[in-house]
Amino acid sequence: MTPGSTPVVTVLLALVLGTAVTAALARDLLVATVVFGAYSLGLAILWVVFRAPDVGLTEAAVGAGVTTSLFLAAIAKTTLSRSGPAFDRPRSPAALLVGAAVVVALGATVPALPAVGDPDAPAFADGAAAAYYLSNTADLGIDNVVTAVLVVFRGFDTFGEVAVVFAAGVAVLVVLREVS
Amino acid sequence: MAGDRPYTDSVVVTKTVRAITPFVLTFGLFTMLHGTKSVGGGFQGGVVVAAAVVTLAFAFGVGQTWRALDARLLVGVAAGGLSLFAAVALASLGLGGAFLDAGVYAGLGADAVVYAVELVEIGIGITVASVVSLLFFEIARTEP
Repeated sequence: MTPGSTPVVTVLLALVLGTAVTAALARDLLVATVVFGAYSLGLAILWVVFRAPDVGLTEAAVGAGVTTSLFLAAIAKTTLSRSGPAFDRPRSPAALLVGAAVVVALGATVPALPAVGDPDAPAFADGAAAAYYLSNTADLGIDNVVTAVLVVFRGFDTFGEVAVVFAAGVAVLVVLREVS
Repeated sequence: MAGDRPYTDSVVVTKTVRAITPFVLTFGLFTMLHGTKSVGGGFQGGVVVAAAVVTLAFAFGVGQTWRALDARLLVGVAAGGLSLFAAVALASLGLGGAFLDAGVYAGLGADAVVYAVELVEIGIGITVASVVSLLFFEIARTEP
């Protein structure tokens, strides 16, 4: 049985979908933030069920933890407006049209995605890169292929990522100090 | 999040946070180093450490916690993490390998590659931990 058909996955997907819609529609930003945290937690458990614990750990720590606290800190600095519409009416029909076109175009690509764990998926079909990673990870003395790929085989990407994290921190510091 | 007043007066919260913080920090370090054995890595471990700092701020007040830290210190630590990664990446040149070629460390000893990767993970971890903490305090604090 594929993991996609168990009751646990069905319940988690319903939770994720429900919290996502609630977060989008909630009038109160505090409610939206807390519900968004629950959404991330549901997604994190879903990743673990789908045997991607690395992604699940990141989702729980960043999505449910850090993002929630950053949102709470930002809300604490804003004022709550009870009057006025919850959503701004789209001002230009062109924006509405472009938005709809993007949704339709992205939605049209969904059926082209390979099924979960499909051995004929492009990432596995050729198999040369995956086979190289799997056969060489053990030789390095590393047990986790994810870490070996991130640091050893694809280290350049990871180095760039850390540089981006550092640059983002410095940019936020410069901009916020400039504003205040 | 008022400046000087502790964010909460609850003894339960402050005592609990005081008790769990060392364990959360240890777990963060464990997560960074555990990446070579199983689930984990510098990004996740760094965020766990940052979460411990944010929890301290929630329990003892953003202002009080920020006073113990400093933007210059956090940016310096973040740069240090990036430099540690760069040092490991450059050192492989000295051993005759390519830039970032961690495989050449195998010539130094049985577990040399693992130690090199764990150094990189610690570098990633302290950069992520300090940048995420910095983001939180820059948004949350009310005093300079």
